[in-house]
Parts: sequence; structure tokens; C-alpha cells
Amino acid sequence: MTFRPSGVYHQTYAASHAWWQSNFVRAKMALLVVFVATLPLYASLYVVSVANIVLYTMLSALGVQLLTGYCGQITLGHAAFIAVGAYVTAMGVLFWGLPYLVAAILGCLVAGLWSVVFGLPSARIKGFYQIMTTMAAQFITVDFIITHYVSRVGGREHYFSLPPGTITIGGWPVDSEIKVYYLAAALTFLCFVALANLLRTKVGRAWIAIRDNDIAAEAMGVNVVAYKLLAFFAAGVLAGVAGAVWIPSLLFVSPEHFQLSWSLWIVGVILIGGVGSLHGVAFGAIFVTVILELLKLAVIPLAEFYPALTERFLYVKEAAFGLAIVLFLLYEPKGLAYRWQQLKNYFNLWPFAY
Amino acid sequence: MRIFVELVLSGIMVGSIYALVALGWTLIYKCSGVLNLAMGELTLIGAYVCLTYYQWGFPFPVAVLAMLITGFILGLVTERLFLRRMIGEPILSVIMITAGLSFFFRAVVGFVWGTDTVVFTPPVFPQEPLRFFSMVFGQIYIWSFVAAILLLLVFVWFFARSRWGLSMQATADDEMAALSLGVSAKRVYALAWAIAFMAAGVGGTLLGNINGLNISVGYLGLLVLPAVVLGGLNSVPGAIVGGLAIGVLQNLSDVYIGPLTQGGVKEIAPFVFMIAVLLIRPYGLWGWVRIERV
Repeated sequence: MTFRPSGVYHQTYAASHAWWQSNFVRAKMALLVVFVATLPLYASLYVVSVANIVLYTMLSALGVQLLTGYCGQITLGHAAFIAVGAYVTAMGVLFWGLPYLVAAILGCLVAGLWSVVFGLPSARIKGFYQIMTTMAAQFITVDFIITHYVSRVGGREHYFSLPPGTITIGGWPVDSEIKVYYLAAALTFLCFVALANLLRTKVGRAWIAIRDNDIAAEAMGVNVVAYKLLAFFAAGVLAGVAGAVWIPSLLFVSPEHFQLSWSLWIVGVILIGGVGSLHGVAFGAIFVTVILELLKLAVIPLAEFYPALTERFLYVKEAAFGLAIVLFLLYEPKGLAYRWQQLKNYFNLWPFAY
Repeated sequence: MRIFVELVLSGIMVGSIYALVALGWTLIYKCSGVLNLAMGELTLIGAYVCLTYYQWGFPFPVAVLAMLITGFILGLVTERLFLRRMIGEPILSVIMITAGLSFFFRAVVGFVWGTDTVVFTPPVFPQEPLRFFSMVFGQIYIWSFVAAILLLLVFVWFFARSRWGLSMQATADDEMAALSLGVSAKRVYALAWAIAFMAAGVGGTLLGNINGLNISVGYLGLLVLPAVVLGGLNSVPGAIVGGLAIGVLQNLSDVYIGPLTQGGVKEIAPFVFMIAVLLIRPYGLWGWVRIERV
């Protein structure tokens, strides 16, 4: 019902650029907001914790979608910037005595700047070489600086412990899954709205031009290097938000949470969801998390016959995810967002085929 | 000075294993343009398969031979099932399909063989070290070096002389021309994957003999990337030199820069070096310089 039944007759520019053009869409979005806001009231704690993972995956993948899907800069080291956000926030709260929100904003900025540092080579190189520098960012940041230097700050080995109640917002401790859920949902909503609007501005159009053809963009007068670095900064800030949101639900922060596999994982999420689509981020995150939870449920009865399935469930999960990426690339390369579009078009025209 | 020479020599010996795996990587890239992130998992699979045959009681050379045959078949199957449709797709799709394969393969290895470190028992190579001019080397390093060099020679001969090798070179050079001259590109792609699987398997087996075998041997697959970037992505001699250089670099940085930091230099040095190479000379030592036009 995105389209009006008898063509589009806008009378103002504002109306033609509006996000939600019909009452049906407005009602749908309002329903979504109500659903997200009331989920903890009737869902079990388990569902809320799964929802938290979905929200964290969405926030993590949002930055990757911006860089890869909209600016064409493939990144395989995004977990490094999430780690920077998480660590700066944790250190701000634990050692420097900052309020959580201030520490989180600081974490986002530092993550953004750190991302720009590793975006600098993109001025000279692209394609596979660019991918290699982002991968190097992963190893240098997480496996070297954070593991061997940052983790030793404050005399603790390997991790910063964050007992429940350490993180407070204006005196309110964020210490339960439900509170984390509301925090994450609010920030995810904010980030989606901010990014969706950013992509409609001059900056967003410049990014898309660079993605489609960087040489042509340069010839059109787009300052390619500046906009690429801006994209890295914005993606780093989004990664910082993800890191800052993730830490209240953790008992400790450790480099183990931000390995290369998580970087590849979130790229896989946007591939499954659809590259170059904000819907794709949401669909990919929901699909991957929910499918893996269902897999867990399916494994439990099977484990009676074959106990190794539960002992080595981590591997079952990774194999399923790897296979999902491969199958999506082979059979549905445009991702779930494209399928969603097809479905909507089908119902828009129903019962006529075209 | 003696320490320096010793470090360089042992670096070259380990580096020759990297060179072997890097060769497999370059081969795939050269022939089919696929950037492979699953190289480490190919080494893992080869090493575990060889270990399994060895534990069944086959003598080591027979186990290696059986592993080569298994690797050949697995390479053909992988190419046919997953990679053939991806020729000419955008770089993100191609690289992520290999990333997906790497998740899948590693998980399968972890599921089947577990996470504990296993060693070749009884040891394949004699334990006591050899001495040259007051320098000490484990025999295993010497043997690995010899085996790797031998295999590299076989590969070089294969590309320069044999019919299949020549058709691979022709495809890499100009696919359209090769096709019009009757070279089957499909066979070339399949062969590239099969050879890469075999080379990676030998590399993994040798490394498994040195340090024991666990899932972190797959890290080798990531070390290959700095090696091929240094050598130039599509250069076979470049891959060999790059592999050797990364081995030496790791040893030197571990001993000379390591004490200045809090550890982890050995793992990170190749990647820092890679960024430096990328900024100064992105096409590596002997890679092709691409000129882009709109």
C-alpha cells in the first residue's frame, strides 16, 4: 500500500519527499514502535535477551552498511571500532569517573577518529587493498593495542570487570536485560533515523556517487577523499554507539568479544539482509539471530542421540552461518530486503500480476 | 651476528611453508580472480586429513600422498559447488563467499576433530637438533624447508612445462584468447582450486609437525595475505619471495622489537609491514599496475 491507487499527485515538495506517504504506512510504523516499546511487558526474559542481541547486531552492522553498502568501502575490521567504543566507554566509567552517557559520547568520538586513521590509506588504494588495511586495523587494534596495552590499564589482566550497577544513567542503574533493551532500542531507533536522513542529504548522495563510480564522482566535483574519510568517521561513530550499548549487558569487557570473526559476521549480516539498504540491516540481524536461536532449540532434542552437538554447539552455529552466507550469495544475492520489496510489490498490485 | 644469521635462516625455513601456501593463493587469484579468505581453513583441512591417515597407521609419505589425493578431490568439489557461479561477480560477493566458506570449513574441522592440540605420534622427523657452524636448527625445520623447496620446484616446472600448467598461464594472461584457442577455462579454475588445496595441505602438515596441530594453524591463512601483497597479487615468484620475507620479518621483529613492547609483535608485524607496502607500492614487487579509466 505504498502507492496510491490511482497514481501520485503531490502538491508540495515536502509531501513528495515525505518518509511515510500514506496513512497505511504511518499506521504500520506506529504499530512497530508500539510493538518494540511493549515487547518486555509480555515477552519472557529469554526473548528480551535475544532481542538485545538483535539490537546489538543491528547497531554493529549499521556502520558496515554505511561504509560498504553506501560508500563502497568494504570493511573487514569493523569490530575494532566497536571495541574502541566499548573500551573507551568502560574506561571512562571505571577509571575517569565520567557519567555513562558522557563516556559513551567520548567513546563514539574516539572510535570515529580511530576509524579515520585506518581510512586514510583509502586516499591511495581501493578494492582488495582497501580490504587488507581494514583487516590490519582489526589485528593492530584488537590483537595488539587492546590485548597487550589497554587491557593492562588499572592492573587488571585481560579484561575490565563491570559488575551490574556500574553503569548508571542519571542515577538509574542499567542493570537488567529489560533496561538494556530500552536503552538499546532507543539508540538503535535514533541511529536508524539519523542515518536514513543523512543518506538523503548532500553527504549521502556524495557517498552513493563514490560507491557507484569513484572516478566519475571525482570528475563531477565530489571531493572523494574527504567524503570517504567522512564515511569512515560516521561508521566509526556508529560502531562506537554499538560498543557503548553492548557493555551494560556484559559482566566484563575482553578482547575476546571483538575478534575478526565478529567483523566477518556483521558483514555477513548485511549480505544476508541486502547490501545498500537500511531495511537490510534490520532483516539481516533479525534473520541471523533468530535462525541461530531456532537452531539451538532444534539441537536440544537431537542431542540425546548425538551429544557432541551440544558440546560443540559453537561450531554448529558457525557452520550454519557460513553456509547461510554462501547460499544467500549463490541464490539470493540481493538479500532479504529485495525479497521484501518484491513481496510488497506483489501485494500492491494484487490480484493483478502487473 | 650469529643470532641474526640464525634468525634469518630459520625465518627462511618457516617462510618457505608460507611461500607454499601463498603460491596456492596466488594461483587461484591469477586464474580466476577470486580473493580467497579461506586459505587458512584449507591448510587446516589438509593437515587434519593427513594426521588422520597417519594415525590409521599409514607411513608418513603414504599419508601425505593420500592427503594430496583427498585435497585434489575436495578442491574440485569446492570449486564446482561454490565458486563457479561467482566468476565475475563484484569483489564483495566473491570475498564474502570465501569468508563464508572459511566459517563453514573451520566449524567442520572444529566439530570433527575438536579443539585440543594434537601432535603426530610417533614423531615423523627425528627430534635431536642439527648443528651447522655453531648454529642450531631443529631437524624438522630442515626437512620442512627441503620439502617446501622441492614442491615449489615441482610447481614451477608444472607451470613452465606441462600442458595443463601452460593452459593455466594462458587463462591467467588473457581469458578470452585462451578460450578461443580451445583452453577449457572451467577446467583451469577447478585445477587451480585443486592445486591450492594440495599446496595448503602440505603447508599445514609441515606446520603441524613443528608446533602440533590445533585450530589456530588456520592463522597461517591470514599471514598469507601480507605475503601476497608484498609479492604482487598475481605473481608466482612474488608469492614465494613474499612468503620467505614474511617468515624472516616475523623472526627478526620478535627478537629485536619484541622486548620493547609487551608482546604480540610477532603476530602483528606482518600486517603493519603490509600497510607500509600498500601505501608505498600497492601493486607489490611484481604485480600488475592497473590504470583505471571511467
